[in-house]
Amino acid sequence: MARPSTAPLICLHCDTAHRPVSPGAAVVVYCSYCGAVLARRHDITATQLLAVTIAAAILFVIANVTSVLDIEFGGVHTEANIWAAALSLDQGWIFCAALALAVTMFVVPMLQIALLLWVLLFASVALRAPGYRHALVLLHHLRPWSMTEVFLLGALVAIVKLSAWVHVIAGEGLWAIGGLTILLAILSRYDSRNWWERVESAGP
Amino acid sequence: MSTRPTAAALGLIACRVCGLVSSRLQTLNAGRCARCASRVQVRAPRSAEHTLAWLLTGVILYIPANLMPVMYTSGVQGGQESTILSGVVSFWQAGSWDIAALIFIASVAVPSTKFIALGLILWTVRRGTLPGRRERTKLYRVVEFIGYWSMLDVAVVALTSTLLQFKTLGSAEPREGIVFFCGVVVTTMIAALSFDPRLIWDGRTRDD
Repeated sequence: MARPSTAPLICLHCDTAHRPVSPGAAVVVYCSYCGAVLARRHDITATQLLAVTIAAAILFVIANVTSVLDIEFGGVHTEANIWAAALSLDQGWIFCAALALAVTMFVVPMLQIALLLWVLLFASVALRAPGYRHALVLLHHLRPWSMTEVFLLGALVAIVKLSAWVHVIAGEGLWAIGGLTILLAILSRYDSRNWWERVESAGP
Repeated sequence: MSTRPTAAALGLIACRVCGLVSSRLQTLNAGRCARCASRVQVRAPRSAEHTLAWLLTGVILYIPANLMPVMYTSGVQGGQESTILSGVVSFWQAGSWDIAALIFIASVAVPSTKFIALGLILWTVRRGTLPGRRERTKLYRVVEFIGYWSMLDVAVVALTSTLLQFKTLGSAEPREGIVFFCGVVVTTMIAALSFDPRLIWDGRTRDD
């Protein structure tokens, strides 16, 4: 999979040119001038990454169809997940905040999972997915706006906050978001360069 | 300037989006990366100016974000509006110092760190300061890494407003301050993303 390259490694943070390292020499290679990551070894195969992405897709669906937090008080029941939380902000022009929440905690993670599924489905059978160039460019630009883990921490803070008055029940969705956070963290260990090498070396 | 081998000196250029290393002359003539078709330039155009503009917008939005209430809660004792800081104080007084610290870090410390750090980086880039370039590049990566955690309070307010809907126990509603707070997170994130960290390494002798 690793193709020998004679092109120097160029640091994207300081423009320093480094000698290419032999593949497999180290897990991560850092720039000796500014400390940025120069290259990361492909230590998981495309098929393994596909498995992680499928698991993330399943957890994403569970997180969004079940409730993350539940409250039962005096015969009244309320529950919340990402969508309900976004909709609760949809009051007058506070909808701007609802939009920000829905985009960063629902739309962006969903697109990331969908695009990775598409690219990896083909890569796992040694093919380049149709439109993979657009998919990889989009994935690069989406990455900073993916905030599933912030929602997880927000839910934990909300539990502590509301527990002062009522008994809060953690729903299936909370466990799903916990798992999703871990899987998305595994997938985002690899940067754009890594994905391009992986997909382009996968096959025709 | 020094013996640091730069891509520019070797006649090479790297695409900021996909990392492809290619011939500087050919790529700059084409204007686009041969692999991912993103625009490739020597440095992101007017990067420091864009960062400054977004950063100042963030600073301005941060004032109403702190002064205006982010949530209204009503209960048997009557209703009250809370700002981000009063939320931190009430957690502290209720004995949850850990949650108070968490919200304080995410909503106050992180945005302030971003303002100061990006301001410092922009100022030193303008002066062409050479010492501490490695440290300032690291500082930039820290700003990029911590930026989005400020959305924490938005998630907490949204979840509380969703769950607390009881006539007898109490209910919660979001207030306008949260929009300004979202604005701070988004503008400071764009500020960090529009900055080209290679500017830190250029010094006074910009080659473009």
